[in-house]
Amino acid sequence: MSDVKETASEQLMQAVAGGDLSAFNEIVLRHQKLAWDIAYRFLGDRHAAEDIAQEAFLKILDAAPRYKPTASFRTYLSRVVTRLCLDYAQRRRPTYTDNLPPVTDSGADGARQVAAAESEQAIQGALMTLRLNQRMAVVLRYFEGLSLAEIAEAIGVSGKAAERLLARARESLEPLLAHLCEE
Amino acid sequence: MRCREVTTRLDAYVGGELPSALAAEVESHLASCESCRLALDRLRRLAAVLGQTLMLPVPAGFALKVMAEARTRAARRPAVAAWNPFQWWKMGSVPMRAAAAAVLVVGLLAGLAMGWNAVQAPAAKLSAQAAPQGDPLAGYNLDYLGEAPSGSLADGYMALLSGRNGEGK
Repeated sequence: MSDVKETASEQLMQAVAGGDLSAFNEIVLRHQKLAWDIAYRFLGDRHAAEDIAQEAFLKILDAAPRYKPTASFRTYLSRVVTRLCLDYAQRRRPTYTDNLPPVTDSGADGARQVAAAESEQAIQGALMTLRLNQRMAVVLRYFEGLSLAEIAEAIGVSGKAAERLLARARESLEPLLAHLCEE
Repeated sequence: MRCREVTTRLDAYVGGELPSALAAEVESHLASCESCRLALDRLRRLAAVLGQTLMLPVPAGFALKVMAEARTRAARRPAVAAWNPFQWWKMGSVPMRAAAAAVLVVGLLAGLAMGWNAVQAPAAKLSAQAAPQGDPLAGYNLDYLGEAPSGSLADGYMALLSGRNGEGK
């Protein structure tokens, strides 16, 4: 492949199907953040999230000969990560275990760091109270900006069901995060 | 529209994902329903708070770990990929596909023609061997029974058919 950096991910996957690992490397570099963000935000556990995100790419590699670009690669990857996360969570029921990062500044910036860390903990804690599908819908919508159609495809529900998942999730999250929303 | 339906639709409304007629209905409801307007405001605030959270960066060496495992799996895979008879079709240009299709059609027609000839030939051969008028035996194509030993069951049977006695007389 002449210039992988200029080639669309969907086309790169055709090369991956032919055994081109440099194309696969480009796919990983481009989309690792998406896979990691979804997995970490959903699971709240760094090690599990890293394993899931890694496994998602390897599953995509194994399935490359059967890949058909019926949707964007981003949507495809989101679906693979989502399914792995939901399967993992259903088997293991992970709990949010991350600690607050250390505050490195004692001044105004330090106060901001503490506030940001506390917000992060409150948000992640609130997310972990949601049902699995609701949590995933929130992650995909509000953290990754996926459309309702993409969310529906990733989770494996209808568009209307995706809307309901988000509506129910909001009902649960709003009272838990009201103090953050009012600031 | 009822409030329950409107609040369920708010994500789609904010994202511009509703058909225009439905979006207009939601807007019309919002114009007259403070409760739903407050729900919309809460949705926007929640989305803003969630969207501003700092994400942990991708772990260092993530891509390297993935690629190391990918190379290990590639090394384990057999050198020859599984034969996919349709792979060349997908990869071929339009003229190549047209040529392949034409060859296939010509081959099928040739095969049909040969098969038709093969079916017709035995029928022609049989009718050529058809018995002349008045010889019932030839019409059954039973000439192989002509070698039946004298006194045998086959010879007797032939004698009955032809009006001879069992001893060929």
